[in-house]
Amino acid sequence: MAYVIAEPCIDLKDKACVEECPVDCIYEGRRALYIHPDECVDCGACEPVCPVEAVFYEDDVPPHWQPYRQANVEFFDVLGSPGGACAVGSVSADPPLVAAHAGRADDPNR
Amino acid sequence: MTEVIEALSLVPKAEAKQSMKDFKSDQEVRWCPGCGDYAVLAAVQGFMPELGLAKENIVFVSGIGCSSRFPYYMNTYGMHSIHGRAPAIATGLASSRRDLSVWVVTGDGDALSIGGNHLIHALRRNVNLKILLFNNRIYGLTKGQYSPTSEVGKITKSTPMGSLDAPFNPVSLAIGAEASFVARTVDSDRKHLTSVLRAAAEHQGTALIEIYQNCNIFNDGAFEVLKDKQQAEEAVIRLEHGQLIRFGADGSKGVVRDQATGDLKVIAVTDENASQILIHDAHTTSPTTAFALSRLADPDTLHHTPIGVFRSVDRPVYDTQMSDQLETAIEQKGKGDLATLLAGNDTWTTGR
Repeated sequence: MAYVIAEPCIDLKDKACVEECPVDCIYEGRRALYIHPDECVDCGACEPVCPVEAVFYEDDVPPHWQPYRQANVEFFDVLGSPGGACAVGSVSADPPLVAAHAGRADDPNR
Repeated sequence: MTEVIEALSLVPKAEAKQSMKDFKSDQEVRWCPGCGDYAVLAAVQGFMPELGLAKENIVFVSGIGCSSRFPYYMNTYGMHSIHGRAPAIATGLASSRRDLSVWVVTGDGDALSIGGNHLIHALRRNVNLKILLFNNRIYGLTKGQYSPTSEVGKITKSTPMGSLDAPFNPVSLAIGAEASFVARTVDSDRKHLTSVLRAAAEHQGTALIEIYQNCNIFNDGAFEVLKDKQQAEEAVIRLEHGQLIRFGADGSKGVVRDQATGDLKVIAVTDENASQILIHDAHTTSPTTAFALSRLADPDTLHHTPIGVFRSVDRPVYDTQMSDQLETAIEQKGKGDLATLLAGNDTWTTGR
């Protein structure tokens, strides 16, 4: 079980959640943030602080964003379990779902 | 884990390989979002499969407080017991049922305030149980009054002009109460927390683990100095048995004995004094150095806070000895009859 970051985070990366996470398990990719499924302790601190409501408990991800559950897992295929995002820093990669995303409709740079 | 842990040799093994999921119950976890308790729960659930014990033979006993909700979330047996009395209940359980792995979950209020007496006696008896003391230095469940570990001058709802009470140092207290195993760890450091749980599980007798746990609602950031990467380098002393007690950037600081007083102190390491730095010996019989280590930390700033296993020594275990006595008594005098004993000769009638 873990929390999951879905589509609204793409190209935004507000990072309010990163500040809140007590176990430093929210990692930064190129276009979005990702929650480590094994390092997350389910405390839920990240969910209410997200300004765009991108964070969901795994069981509560809306149906149209279900693939983001898998995307949060895939992001760590290469990274493994580093045990803290701070030491890793920003990673210039995204899982295919996010990498191929057309961008947010309200993004002026789109 | 393939090797048999002596302390758990009487506890039946699980039939199949376990995973973290096996130890999660169907109960929705209810602590405040961001609470350090979640991190401890995840670490314990993640560690349990390593022991490979039958879940039916594991018991978590708690008292009262936020952390004491712990047994609901473990898919093992458990008891949310009486305020401060978890060590007493666990003592009875562990000494009468040696086929159980018994864990106590308690907090700084539960263990050190109302339950202070039960805690020290469990420690001196050395019953085979493992005590997880969640220390957040505040009363969280009752919404933020000062606790027995709050720093002097702490301003809370019950101490608007600052607390006048000198705090307990749980590690010092435990060592003073003859504890055979005493350790300290931090909620957010899963690797360290797990290593300390492992050492406690392998210990025969009572193990006390003080876990610094953040209450992000009523005492947020109480241990930030130990968690922030830069500050922690100067603040945290990681104790490892058989290793030099050095810390700071590139091990620039070390712990030495003050030749005049016998006390411990922190020095900047130079070529001249490097040979004086202490090597940590958790297994030494005397509790003196372990106690001195527990006094290094500044109770206000938490600078020079040692974490890890302070003390881990072999001492006769209560339940083993009690069981031996019972066997000897049965051998010498037969099984005995409780009803006969109660109605025996040594009784008298009171009243007019």
